Amino acid sequence: MLGVLEQQDVLVRMHAELQRALKKKPEERRWVMVIDLRKCVGCHACTIACVAENKLPPGVVYRPVLDEEFGSYPNVTRRFIPRPCMQCDEPPCVPVCPVNATYKNNEGVTVVDYDQCIGCRYCVTACPYGARTFDFGLTYTDNTPDNFPFLFGQANADDYERHANYEYGENRQREGEKSPIGNVRKCHFCLHRLAEGMLPACTTTCIGRATLFGDANDPDSLVAEMIASPNVMRLKEELGTEPRVYYLV
Amino acid sequence: MNFKRAIYTISALALLFGLWGVFVRLTTGHREAAYGSYVVWGLWVAMYLFFAGTAAGAFMISTLDLLFHIKIFKGTGRTALWVGLVSLAAALLSIWLDLGHMERIWKVYLQGDLGSVMAQMVWGYTLFGLLMLASLYLSIRNPQSSLLRTLMIVGLPLSLFVSGAVGALLGVEASRLFWHVGLLPVQFPVFSLASGAAAMLVVIGLFGQKESPNRSEQLWVLSVLTVALAVVKLYFLWADFSQSMYGNVPQNVEAVRAVLYGPYWWAFWILQILIGTLVPIFVLVQPKLARHNGWAGWMGVLVLFGFAVARANIVFPALTVPEIQALTTAFSGPHLTFDYFPSLMEWAVTLGIVGMAVLAFLIGEDRLPLSSKEA
Repeated sequence: MLGVLEQQDVLVRMHAELQRALKKKPEERRWVMVIDLRKCVGCHACTIACVAENKLPPGVVYRPVLDEEFGSYPNVTRRFIPRPCMQCDEPPCVPVCPVNATYKNNEGVTVVDYDQCIGCRYCVTACPYGARTFDFGLTYTDNTPDNFPFLFGQANADDYERHANYEYGENRQREGEKSPIGNVRKCHFCLHRLAEGMLPACTTTCIGRATLFGDANDPDSLVAEMIASPNVMRLKEELGTEPRVYYLV
Repeated sequence: MNFKRAIYTISALALLFGLWGVFVRLTTGHREAAYGSYVVWGLWVAMYLFFAGTAAGAFMISTLDLLFHIKIFKGTGRTALWVGLVSLAAALLSIWLDLGHMERIWKVYLQGDLGSVMAQMVWGYTLFGLLMLASLYLSIRNPQSSLLRTLMIVGLPLSLFVSGAVGALLGVEASRLFWHVGLLPVQFPVFSLASGAAAMLVVIGLFGQKESPNRSEQLWVLSVLTVALAVVKLYFLWADFSQSMYGNVPQNVEAVRAVLYGPYWWAFWILQILIGTLVPIFVLVQPKLARHNGWAGWMGVLVLFGFAVARANIVFPALTVPEIQALTTAFSGPHLTFDYFPSLMEWAVTLGIVGMAVLAFLIGEDRLPLSSKEA
């Protein structure tokens, strides 16, 4: 028991590994996420952290947690599968884009150029994981009464929703029909946080330390160690998309 | 009120309703739409497929007169080209309004990736539209021009390519088994020709020149063509669905079941099969009715209606099947549902586009020299 407590928190280890990875050239890194399904308790903290970090509006979600139930009473069990973007090495969403608005960046993360995206949503139909959502321009404070504008009500409340979220390191105000409204949006492994030496929001928030993140090209990294285990799987591997998100089962 | 005036009035009313829909679309973006992030393409995409297919089909029919010089079709080429142009305009308007950022459409031309089937299709349809415009101009100003013949020769394979590209747009998507059918790019040109023939049945049957000596023969030939292609369409449907059911791959079976027995089963069985296919076949195989202006024309309307429903039955079901089953309950919010029925705004815009297309056709019929005296 004492030995377990004395172990270094994986967050500390991953943070140190992140600093090490950031010293490398971007193209030499291979960002990978490993999710240990045996540790995931289905608390949805990662989903909420992601929504808060990226100020996701209603109807936009980057990391839902799938809740699956197996068996029949009395032999029943549940499994929770967090589903970020798989950051596929062979992403079906990329070649279909008519304007090269979505592409793999030099770190191998599939990104969306909001100013280039025309909002045709072809990439959404191409993704086999349902990992892309369209920003319809809604806010959580839509239809909020505005009786006391200085204290309560939409005018005050939705300020938060209009603040920049710094996705992709851009200071992008959410107003009118400007991007990212009218764009397709997706998980980007919190590239803006990585650039500042921080782990993705879902990783730091995971209460069970079920979500691990790091550079798989670093042989000493935790993720490199984990994806070499025999109990590793990836979603829909048969499609040949080569996801960079691994699950431990 | 005569028939044409009634159609003018109905179309104008539809256009007015559509203007309201476009106003809502432009002022509220996509917020009032019923499609979402799962069923991500809705009525406007289906109508794009329908109108674009009809445009390609109308061009194919125009070659009967302007390229192959088939005697009984003499004088119908320009009208078919006009139908194609109007239909293409309706298609492009429908898909343009569907974009999240309409103002960025130029990027497909100037910064497009020709490796994307969608970019190829946009380029293809743009070239095709320009070619139809030039062909119509030449067929009016200089019908004997060799350039017109060249344009028709180039246009015929181009019409096959663009209509096939629409099939490929869906067919390349390996993650949607319902669409990922190798024959889809082959089926779509057949569907296009069928809708082009049906459109010409409407045009000649309901709006054709009374004094045209070939009218009844034209209707008969177009009826035979329409019936033959309707049978081919039924065969394609049977082949697709039976193979899917036999193969028993869950995601594919679920999509087929959604079409056959889902909440909108009536759209397939009643609208697409009964009204859009079987009734027209039953009427048009009877030579007397097939040569009758009104019967043939209205059957053409039904066939077109059936094709529009068929396009919806291709687009929606594949999207209503979750990529991963548990996604349905993983996260809730607006526009995150796997069910879809178009919103009032979507219907309004579509009816407006139909109204605009019919009005544009009628105005062209009345103002442009589309019918030659020989006809």
